[in-house]
Amino acid sequence: MRSRRVYSRYFSLRQSSVAQSPYANSDPKYKRCTINAIPQTTALLNKCKIPFGLLITPYRHLLAGEEPVPVINPPQIVRCRRCRTYINPWVQFVEQDTRWKCNLCFLTNEVPTFFDWDPETRAHVDRRRRPELTHATVEFVAPQEYMVRPPQPVVFLFVIDVSYSAVQSGMLATAARTILDTLDAIPNADNRTKIGFITVDSTLHFYNLNPNLTEPQMLVVSDLDETFLPMPYDLLVTLSESREVIDKLMERIGDMFKNTQIVQSVLGRALQAAHKMIHAIGGKIIVLQSTLPNQNEGALKAREDPKLLGTPKEVTLLQPQTGFYKNFAVSCSPTQVSIDIFLFSPQYADVATLSGCAKFTGGSVYYYPAFNASRPEDALKFANEFSHFLSRPIGLEAVMRVRASKGIRMTAFHGNFFLRSTDLLSLPNVSPDNSYAVEMTLVENLTTSLACFQTALLHTSSNGERRIRVLTLAIPVTSNLGDVFASADQFALAAILSKKAVERALTSKIEDARDALTYKLNEIMGAYKSSFTTSGQSVQLLLPDNLKLLPLLTLGMLKNIAFRQASTIPSDLRSFVMAILYVFPPELCVVQCHPRFWSIHNLAPQIGLPGQDGQITFPPLLNLCSDKLDRTGIFLLENGVEIFIWVGRAASPDLVKMLFDKPNYDQIVAGKTTLPTLQNDYSSRINNLIGKIREVRIQMATCYPHLYVVKEDGDPALRMWFLTQLIEDRMDAMPSYPQFLGVLREQMGKISAA
Amino acid sequence: MNAEGFLFLFAVVMAAVLLFSMVFFIIMFSDLECDYINPIDLCNKLNQFVLPEHLAHGFLFLMFLVNGSWMALLINTPLAAWHVNKIMNNRHMYDATEIFRTLPQHKKESFIKLGFYLLCFFYYLYRMILGLLQEKW
Repeated sequence: MRSRRVYSRYFSLRQSSVAQSPYANSDPKYKRCTINAIPQTTALLNKCKIPFGLLITPYRHLLAGEEPVPVINPPQIVRCRRCRTYINPWVQFVEQDTRWKCNLCFLTNEVPTFFDWDPETRAHVDRRRRPELTHATVEFVAPQEYMVRPPQPVVFLFVIDVSYSAVQSGMLATAARTILDTLDAIPNADNRTKIGFITVDSTLHFYNLNPNLTEPQMLVVSDLDETFLPMPYDLLVTLSESREVIDKLMERIGDMFKNTQIVQSVLGRALQAAHKMIHAIGGKIIVLQSTLPNQNEGALKAREDPKLLGTPKEVTLLQPQTGFYKNFAVSCSPTQVSIDIFLFSPQYADVATLSGCAKFTGGSVYYYPAFNASRPEDALKFANEFSHFLSRPIGLEAVMRVRASKGIRMTAFHGNFFLRSTDLLSLPNVSPDNSYAVEMTLVENLTTSLACFQTALLHTSSNGERRIRVLTLAIPVTSNLGDVFASADQFALAAILSKKAVERALTSKIEDARDALTYKLNEIMGAYKSSFTTSGQSVQLLLPDNLKLLPLLTLGMLKNIAFRQASTIPSDLRSFVMAILYVFPPELCVVQCHPRFWSIHNLAPQIGLPGQDGQITFPPLLNLCSDKLDRTGIFLLENGVEIFIWVGRAASPDLVKMLFDKPNYDQIVAGKTTLPTLQNDYSSRINNLIGKIREVRIQMATCYPHLYVVKEDGDPALRMWFLTQLIEDRMDAMPSYPQFLGVLREQMGKISAA
Repeated sequence: MNAEGFLFLFAVVMAAVLLFSMVFFIIMFSDLECDYINPIDLCNKLNQFVLPEHLAHGFLFLMFLVNGSWMALLINTPLAAWHVNKIMNNRHMYDATEIFRTLPQHKKESFIKLGFYLLCFFYYLYRMILGLLQEKW
């Protein structure tokens, strides 16, 4: 991923950390910077035109084989007196190692005695073995000073739609089944986890789940003029105590509403009631909504208008139609309440408005267009995602602060949070999936050889402990423009540009976002060209190796559903893709804009089987152009949220038989499917590949990608959809990759070399 | 005392009130920058004063119109138009989620308005004295 040059730089850097440990610098999966050699002066930073930013995924879910973050419980948390930086591998010990010099503000602080002396064993200890000095990512167990109240328990409050479409689509039954199956896996280490349910149609239904009851009691509130709870307690109960009553409710809830004809939904009022129920503790409100909220507070209109799509006015559909949900989210934030939304609407769901709830409370949005549980694929996708969503460890009542070396200032933040002060992000819940982007600038010239960035995430872990996760990244400072370019991280760049583009699109127009993306690419390439080429080379496009993919990634973003010029993309889908791009970690932003594409009809022997490191081996990646498609071939493509298998008309009948269990190409059914697991080598290897993709995606983004089989001469809409993933091809008005480069070359020709 | 004298006496008082409200806004914004107040409280507090401020200015504007004080009317037209424009586009309220991004603009706007009210204050004072003197002659 990174050029060798940067690696070697890291290696030499390691020597300057206090413990010279291989973990002294942050893993790029947790935290990465767009440039890996920080310009020393503001002039140099302005000259390179590369956006200076950080991408932080502080609470990411560990993938198989990854080391957990070391947890330490020191007698005292050592921090700089002035800037409150936590001690980290990049501080310097001075004055015979009795003091440490902060690497952010350069103040010297005293080293506490327990660093060298263990009072319990009465022995000398080596401070260079302490995890906070050897690891860039550590988690401190926080003492009393870091709490304003005792750590809160995990609270899950389900707000479930039980209107006609929720029942008919099978959403209610699937959700109840999944909750029932996942109850054991919900984080509940200290037996304090609390759970409650509200069901919504044109009235609100609350459930008395007192552990002494044999049956759950339903309480219907139909007076909706004000937010009102029918009873003060027992609506939110401790999971371990009321387990049997909850089980009964989940078993029955599907039948309770099976004959409903109600098509109204008073979601706004339900959210207010839910907030009233948990505002004293904080926690998670999980909304499962199938009908568009159409009554009472927060009622929405089905405003989708195909005439607006593809016009500059389209952006009005991507902006919220009422401020209710955003204002509600803002009122939830100080009470540590986070909202996650699952949308299932068969028609217009207004993702744009409803996602505001999640955006400002650190939650997430999940969207299942035309969900129908009678299709096993739909039910499986939802059940898998929902079950992972409920069982993954989360952080609660959190705040996150980013500090950087003197001279560097944060200018903007992107992601799902509420900005509580200039550099303090308030996160009622920390979702492991969410990533945060920080834009930075230099306000004064840097005086040291190392710039450091420290992120501290103070949170309550789901086992009820107050903890501080500290991530420190150190990057060398340079006065050489060449180093800045040679160390730029194109994937981080693409990720931060896509997040900025989302914001741009929503505040102004989608077209402006596209223009901004192309403009930035031109600017970076122009800056490189005018600094590093002589006039003779002016016809070529020049970029350092580590930025070679930036034009392609930019093209991928321009052609992504979020920004593409098209009049056929429903606004719900566009809103959803924008919402996920805004929170995706950089790896997924890149895959979403530049899908991974493999041919799977000519597998080398080790492909699809566990390699030496135990990981499934993938075939070599193909360029994303339709030239690669071969009518005798079978291809696999993955973009982070969907998987496609493309089958050529003349695909080998043997492979078709082995993979689909169908005698020939004509018998294959195109569309959303599940591959049969057959007793043959080929089928199991392909299933391994798909299984691996799904495993990683569910852990990175709680997404279980659908699998679509696309036939070369099958359903045109599906084929078109697949072809739009091949971003190197021409697509309506959008240029192919060679054309795009041609235009770029023309523009670069206008810039004179230095 | 004639009508003009009264009108400008009233205008002086209003200008002083508006002046103080702007000072209050600016102090609140710098409090936010120094992290003495959180954006939700800030917006709740300031939003209470936004419409009264606009209304006060609008009322003054209307008085000038009724009285036919064309010069004063002319001076106040740009600000009145600006206020109406903001209300029409629904941009007059402070949004807690956007406040940090828009803070420089808000501060700039408040400073400009502060300066404007200050100038107006002296102009009204001058006109008031003029009005009072006229009566004596």
